[in-house]
Amino acid sequence: MPKRRLLLAEDDHMLASLLKYRLERDGYEVILEYDGKAVKEKLQGEIPDVVISDIMMPYFSGIELVDHLRNSLKSDVPIILISAASNDENIVSAFEMGANDFISKPVSPSELLARVSREIKRHYCT
Amino acid sequence: MDTRELLTHLEKLECGLDSFSFSELKSTEASKLKESFEAFKSGLEEKVFGIPTEDSVKVETSKWENHIFQESRLVANVSHEIRTPLNGIIGFLDLLKETRLTTQQQELVNAMGSASKNLLGVINQLLELSALAAGQGKFEKVSFNPANLINEVSFLCKTLINGKQVELLVHYDEDIPKYLLGDPSKLSQVLLNLTGNAIKFVEKGEIRLDVHLKEERNKKVFLEFVVSDTGIGIANEHLKHIFESYRQAEPNTKLKYGGSGLGLSIVKEIIEKQHGCLAVSSTLGVGTTFKVILPFEKVQVHKSNASKIRKRTTVDVSGKSILVLEDDALTQKLMENRLEQWGCKAYITENGLFGLHLLENHNIDLLLLDMHLPGMDGFEIVHRIRKNSRFKHLPIIVLSGDASSKQQEAFEKLGINDFILKPYNSEELLEKIYNTSKQMEQQQDEVVLEQGEREKETVQIVNLNPVMEECLGKTELLDELIRLFEQNILEFIGKTKMHLQSRNIQGVGFAAHKIKSSLKMLHANELIQVCEEMILECRTGNDLDRLKTLFEEFITEYPKVEMAIGLELKRIKYKL
Repeated sequence: MPKRRLLLAEDDHMLASLLKYRLERDGYEVILEYDGKAVKEKLQGEIPDVVISDIMMPYFSGIELVDHLRNSLKSDVPIILISAASNDENIVSAFEMGANDFISKPVSPSELLARVSREIKRHYCT
Repeated sequence: MDTRELLTHLEKLECGLDSFSFSELKSTEASKLKESFEAFKSGLEEKVFGIPTEDSVKVETSKWENHIFQESRLVANVSHEIRTPLNGIIGFLDLLKETRLTTQQQELVNAMGSASKNLLGVINQLLELSALAAGQGKFEKVSFNPANLINEVSFLCKTLINGKQVELLVHYDEDIPKYLLGDPSKLSQVLLNLTGNAIKFVEKGEIRLDVHLKEERNKKVFLEFVVSDTGIGIANEHLKHIFESYRQAEPNTKLKYGGSGLGLSIVKEIIEKQHGCLAVSSTLGVGTTFKVILPFEKVQVHKSNASKIRKRTTVDVSGKSILVLEDDALTQKLMENRLEQWGCKAYITENGLFGLHLLENHNIDLLLLDMHLPGMDGFEIVHRIRKNSRFKHLPIIVLSGDASSKQQEAFEKLGINDFILKPYNSEELLEKIYNTSKQMEQQQDEVVLEQGEREKETVQIVNLNPVMEECLGKTELLDELIRLFEQNILEFIGKTKMHLQSRNIQGVGFAAHKIKSSLKMLHANELIQVCEEMILECRTGNDLDRLKTLFEEFITEYPKVEMAIGLELKRIKYKL
């Protein structure tokens, strides 16, 4: 089976490095982008199997990303958002827009791995 | 009311100001008030009466002096700003040279290198001259051995002769006291400048450097230094101008011989500031003679110093790579020559960051460190070096002008292996390099254990265990994350500063929010708290001053966190 491709959008290089390492170690292919603009460009080419994005991103927020994927690109790719827990309003609107799941900061890599595999099972294996 | 009338009123007010006691004001506030009042008044007078004439000659002179001071300060500032990046350029060009280049590329890099070094030379001189002109050139008063100094000067000058048929003859009076009190680095600067000039202008023949004991009076010792050459000579009409800035004897001198035209004016400033005197005589086609007389103080020789008999053991330090962090151009040159003479590879820079870069990327065996560097000071450099486990055992010898026990204690705490007092002779340096490297090799194992013991006691400012677990025990990844963390912090500090300045409270909140999650990964609890307070203030309080205070708190606390991270990293790596 080919590797599942994940797009990870996170502007904190430190967190991004840790997550990338853990995701790759579990057999995923990880495309890492540090800002919203770059993410949007990447999506122009190909839609990955799962999108993981921080809500607070430069140029193009995670919420805008959900809107872009669902409404402009008409994609139903699973989207997991990373958010600072305190910001309920954002999370509600993210779900309304069509995000599938969210994980709050500080991110536990093991928890993210579990959520990613759940999304993949739900979306691709049923 | 016409303006003249206004002035009369102002005059009265001024008289009142002079006699009035500002009991509620601090004296500085009062004088500031008076100053701004005077400025206001003179501005008004100028508008009414035009530019003032005879009456205010006195004011004009002081303005002129102020102008010179301002100008040299500007020069100093600008030069300094240029020097720092330029040093970076030179350093990185040196690195570029070590990569694989085509012959043509090599030539280009060499050309860039020598152009930047020339520029640096000019800027350094400009900087120095402006410092002297503004009266900021500091003169040291330390005991030194003049015979040693003359030896080093002549050694350096001989390296400058470079294949010319020129002979340098040195005569040194035997009755000159062994130790004198004065500024040895300024003295060697004067002598190097004069002798260096002579070497530049003589194609064939001889240069003499004579040092005489001119006079011994009370506690003072007057030395006379005579530098004479058999060079091209200087025409009479040019002779009186040669000590002026940017003046060289003839317009085409620069083309033929290079130089900034500042060397002699620096020499003159240095000598005059020390109440010495300088004279020149010259005959075209025959040669030039410079005479310098400088006062020094006698010094009681310290027995411990004088009776130290050096063992003439043959010590071999060849093959060692030595990094020299030193900002004084003369010492740099001297070090380079000495080290190469001993068969060492010398890396020399005055830029702390670049030095650290060299350390990371070359196999350096030992560091010679001047504590007073521009930009990053010696303490910070040592701290950064020792923080990195790779350089735990790097021998560090400090070149210091300060022998106080307090300073020594501080060095020991920092983890410095030895220090040498400036000015030092080369034997001393060689011995220290040899002994320190040997010691470090032997002690290596003991030190590891000892340090571990000490570090266990540190309070938990951060906790790296959770993130280490997330890294699944991969220490390289942990190292990388810490590096990124430090980048995040720098970014946070930069952005917050900027936002605070432009009163962008939302921006501050955003930055604090970002850094909070990084801090949480490392469990830096105290800083997390500061961050949370900042975020809260941005959301509800909007008090810019409070934000500034919190930010300052962050900046004060952060170095502790950085240090704790360094210790934790070591603890994890050595499983202590």
